[in-house]
Amino acid sequence: MRGRPNLYTDYNKESAIFSNNTQKSWFFIMVAFSFSLCFTASEYWIYLLTSSFLMSIAAWGLNIVSGFAGQINLAHGFFVGIGTYTSAVLGGIAGANVIGFELDMLIWLPVAGITAAIVGLIIAPITVRLKGLNLGLVTLALVFIGSHLFSNFKSLTGGAGLGRKVARLKLFGIYLENGYQIGDYFLEKNQILYLLSLTLCILCGLGIKNLVRSRAGRAYSAIRDGDIAAEAIGINIFRYKASAFALSSFFGGISGAMFFTVSGGVEPGTFNLLYSIVFVAIVVIGGAGTVLGPLFGAFFYTMFPAIIQLLLHVFEIGEQSLPLNLGQIERILFGLFIISFLIFEPRGLWGIWFRLRNYFKAWPFSY
Amino acid sequence: MTIFLQATVEGLSLAAIYSLVAIGFVLIYKSMDVLSFAQPALAVVGAGIISSLAVDRGIPFWLALILGIFLTGVLSLIIERTFLRPMVGEPVFSVAILTIGIDILLRTVLDSWIGINPRYLGDPFPTFGNFGAINVGGVNLKFLELTALVTAILIILILSVFFKRSKYGVAMRATSFDQEAALAQGINVGRIFGLAWFIAGILAAFAGFFITGGFNTLGQFSFLIALRALPAVVIGGLDSIPGAVVGSIIIGLTQGYVAYYQIPFENLIGFSLGSGFSLLAPYLIMFVILIFRPDGLFGTEEVERV
Repeated sequence: MRGRPNLYTDYNKESAIFSNNTQKSWFFIMVAFSFSLCFTASEYWIYLLTSSFLMSIAAWGLNIVSGFAGQINLAHGFFVGIGTYTSAVLGGIAGANVIGFELDMLIWLPVAGITAAIVGLIIAPITVRLKGLNLGLVTLALVFIGSHLFSNFKSLTGGAGLGRKVARLKLFGIYLENGYQIGDYFLEKNQILYLLSLTLCILCGLGIKNLVRSRAGRAYSAIRDGDIAAEAIGINIFRYKASAFALSSFFGGISGAMFFTVSGGVEPGTFNLLYSIVFVAIVVIGGAGTVLGPLFGAFFYTMFPAIIQLLLHVFEIGEQSLPLNLGQIERILFGLFIISFLIFEPRGLWGIWFRLRNYFKAWPFSY
Repeated sequence: MTIFLQATVEGLSLAAIYSLVAIGFVLIYKSMDVLSFAQPALAVVGAGIISSLAVDRGIPFWLALILGIFLTGVLSLIIERTFLRPMVGEPVFSVAILTIGIDILLRTVLDSWIGINPRYLGDPFPTFGNFGAINVGGVNLKFLELTALVTAILIILILSVFFKRSKYGVAMRATSFDQEAALAQGINVGRIFGLAWFIAGILAAFAGFFITGGFNTLGQFSFLIALRALPAVVIGGLDSIPGAVVGSIIIGLTQGYVAYYQIPFENLIGFSLGSGFSLLAPYLIMFVILIFRPDGLFGTEEVERV
């Protein structure tokens, strides 16, 4: 069926990862472009892109439970924190008052995800029973319980205000913290992190895309659209809600394990209420219930401080002449973005992208 | 025994503060099915307005207090008109997230105004210091805490009369029962939404004053105290005003007792629960109660239709 990209002759073709060749080629172009950026972009942009990749992994996680399965979760930051501390204990250096085992990344990365998933499963009996706002409130309680635990288990987390060093970058027994020599080319630490995060991000993205088109993904959507109806057609609500929470925490844990290796240390106060809300905001701004949405949202969230700085620079506005400092402007704009996206474009950045794409698809008949 | 009484008094005064915020939550939830996460932010913003009027502008304290509380109500009304009105009929989840956005907005502006040092709200009785206290048989009774208790009781009485007798109170009850039927009876539902937010704003400002008044001062983390009204609302049931009060009493007393008995209890069981456990206890209680009663103690069970 050449030349008819929207004509599907069987279900397998319609639910394929890339439904047509255009999408497939764009995907590979973008992947190649992202890998090439590692060697051309400046250190600052490499840092921003690395954070975006890791943020989008966590946001994808939240998207499983909130976007696909339709359950409010305000405690995603708590699961990210569990991933961070599991990896820090397994892969970090033991200090004067913290423990650490300096294991390989091949161990601490998956274990961080699995531990977070197990915690997600442990609280499943509570989260599955509740729905709607009450679930949101219980997860809110989880944020506070989590930050209390994080600040009080001093041998694991270093305690409030002090923090600890996170996992060391040791892959296949090679320490990568001071860069790595390949032939004539020397890879800096941030480039290595960039490549690792990009690879993880691509794998997780494909994983999410696969999940959506699988039996579980369809069950999640059915639960979101009407849980009683879903139960009536034979979907095991407990199993799928619990698995949504576990999977979501798994992604959060993976992201958390990697995220703080960029800066090298982490303090329990990081995992506060706002940290969890950031993920909700990313999913909302990006577009809940879509595969690309959280990616857009994560990029938007990480890039927009840089964009504000760029704008201030272009218009030659000095930071001192403003009544608020940059961090406050960011937070105010952040709040405004949450509000305005919910009011004007509930489908988020993905919705804008979708409309733009359709506009140009039908151009010049754009109505 | 003295410690027990002291803990009870402090717990009850906390309960009074929580119940003020909690009733605001319930009013908004009943009138328009919105859980407003902006309520704690409104409480501290109210305290901020009072402080800016009384200390920065030099307006007499009592006038500043009344004006500040009124202005918070108006601010709450403006928020409802600009941000919440376009969201009528949208999913509950979206609206809840929207109020989180409002919360971020309000608190960022407030935090930048507060700055590094905590703000003082002013005190009409400088000779007492911290509104004064009285010692009854070894129990230290702070006047500010007693006032909070009396004010909360008065406000609850006024509100219950308002809902039973007044035209608007009855209209509010009708709206919470069925919005469309209320519209058909000639009730201006939009105005009822506004009124609910206005009252909630005023209650929040009262709570904000009692949280930050005197030597307590207004800091960047004061809103966390008001946020603890949320577990109170959940325990009582999101749509029940008596439930909100009972929930607040449970939460307030728990916090009071845990604060005083944590160390003896820790010695008894042999391991530490961690500092600041009394601030965590409300959330734990909410956790436990929701396992057994997902709709809270007094909440009406949700009837679902496919």
